[in-house]
Amino acid sequence: MRFWLQRVAMAVLLLLSVSALTFGAMNILGDPLFNILGPVAGDVNNPDSVKLIEKAKAEFDLDEPLVVRYGLWLSDFVRGDMGVQFSSDGQPPVSDLIKERLPRTATLVLLAQLMAISIAIPWALVTASRAGRLSDRISTMNTFFLVAMPNFALAIILKFVLSIKLGWMPLTYVANDPLSSRLWQMVLPALTIALPVAAVFQRLLRTDLITTLQQDFILMARAKGLSRRRVLFRHALRPSLFSFITVVGLNTGALIGGSIVVETIFRIPGIGSSLVESVLREDFPVVLAIVMIVAVAFVLINLLVDILYSIIDPRVRR
Amino acid sequence: MSGTDNLVTTDDATDVVVADEAVKRRLGWGFWLCIGWIVLMIILAFLAPYLSIKDPNANFIDMSGKGRPPYGPSMDHWFGTDKDARDIFSRTLYGARISLTVGFVAIAFGLLVGGTLGILAGYFRGWFDRIISFVFVILLSFPSLVLAIMLTSLIERSLLTISLVLGVLSIAPVGRLARASTLQYADREFVTAARQIGATNRRIILRELLPNVVIPMGALALLGMAVAIVAEGGLAFLGLSVEKGITWGSLIQLGSEGSTTLQKSPWIAFFPIFVLFFTVLALNFAGDRLRTYLDVKESAL
Repeated sequence: MRFWLQRVAMAVLLLLSVSALTFGAMNILGDPLFNILGPVAGDVNNPDSVKLIEKAKAEFDLDEPLVVRYGLWLSDFVRGDMGVQFSSDGQPPVSDLIKERLPRTATLVLLAQLMAISIAIPWALVTASRAGRLSDRISTMNTFFLVAMPNFALAIILKFVLSIKLGWMPLTYVANDPLSSRLWQMVLPALTIALPVAAVFQRLLRTDLITTLQQDFILMARAKGLSRRRVLFRHALRPSLFSFITVVGLNTGALIGGSIVVETIFRIPGIGSSLVESVLREDFPVVLAIVMIVAVAFVLINLLVDILYSIIDPRVRR
Repeated sequence: MSGTDNLVTTDDATDVVVADEAVKRRLGWGFWLCIGWIVLMIILAFLAPYLSIKDPNANFIDMSGKGRPPYGPSMDHWFGTDKDARDIFSRTLYGARISLTVGFVAIAFGLLVGGTLGILAGYFRGWFDRIISFVFVILLSFPSLVLAIMLTSLIERSLLTISLVLGVLSIAPVGRLARASTLQYADREFVTAARQIGATNRRIILRELLPNVVIPMGALALLGMAVAIVAEGGLAFLGLSVEKGITWGSLIQLGSEGSTTLQKSPWIAFFPIFVLFFTVLALNFAGDRLRTYLDVKESAL
């Protein structure tokens, strides 16, 4: 129990530091008033502008000290209110924008993760059982190619081959289409994110499997007369999954990073493309909200990985 | 998977390890091929303004009846031209200047700051180590692209600042490796011996620890440079990199924007993609080989 309390306390401390740093950096390095009003913010001699400035200051509590503003933001944020967008007329509120866009990104990342895992495990099993052979060497070369391919380049290549030349896949995402066709439109973007990640997973799992396959209990299982396949799946796989699961958790960051680029290329209006847009507009409440969501997701996933750990290997709990 | 049934045996598995051992002792021709490509790219990038290649910003509108640009690859324009009739070959070479510089400066900054912090944390331990490790955890708790995007939103996007932002991103991974390898050596006999004969902390760090820690860092530097180049490409692709100037990412972006550019003139995006891909592949492969050669444990990364 103490173990879990410690883990949770650490996670909360981490999120607080992340939000404080981000909030501080944006308010000190950026100029919120200018971002809200644009050039009007510097026009202090014109009474109309002054009125606007006063109104904006009151609305966004800009006269309060930084610490107070952070406190206000934080208490709103934990209650699910992420504030008002700076630009245009502040509509829709950031929370609504996120609510509309987050499910798309979550689906994309989840789909990509599922694809990566379901590609990597069979791939690793096949290559580990034939380690050192020609097919294994070719597969190692392929992992190098996939890992070296930047995701925006891979996206363009896949889009060109599968969508434009072969016409098998839809070109872009249409938000108004029915659910099934939207899922179908997400397959290619998810595959783009998943392929390099699958290569990373495969490399790791293959190494661990090869180590496991040298153990005595594997020899024992084979000697008992169990089939090779059964030994591979039932005996070798589970003890080899240990570091695989950690990396699956840690790699979620790479998946989210990948989704930013891929959302932009395939025009999926998720939080990734929203992040890019709001950065270009210097719309800090939106940027802050998205950064925090990503950080929270990341922390939660790592907690989940710890829990999974203790299921696979109960010795961890102690 | 039928036939030979001897795969899951101890014999077979040891063979694999032996094979790996044999590879480890040599860098191999692949390594030198990769280094050759990297050196070639550096030279071409460095000499781009002095080579007799076309002006990257000039518009080579063809009047002999080829119609409107973009033009496909030809003897005149090896990589073709973009829709403003600018020569893609020379733009790719000029793009290498920014992309490679960013990669180099970023990893140099990361090694300097992350390496120093990591060594100090690993040597002095205690509260300093705790704070530094926590900072590393914070830095690593962001997907690096998200952090990069966030930081670029706060600054003027020039060559230096973009390099430094990507350098900041490499602090945590580099620092963790430096800390881990310092921990490995800090309790060894030669360090204790140096301390017994009265060497100062400064001397122990510089003369005893640094030479040992630098070795694994060298391999990481090549991998880190690849990561930085890709990250810069990603930023440029999103329009968030160096505002003025050509980079590989922005060239690729230009070749894929709109709905028909990629369909009608794929060469605009594909030639820069190939060059970027081979450079990153070369850096990755060389770094990986070097790491195996120097026997750096994967777990320390």
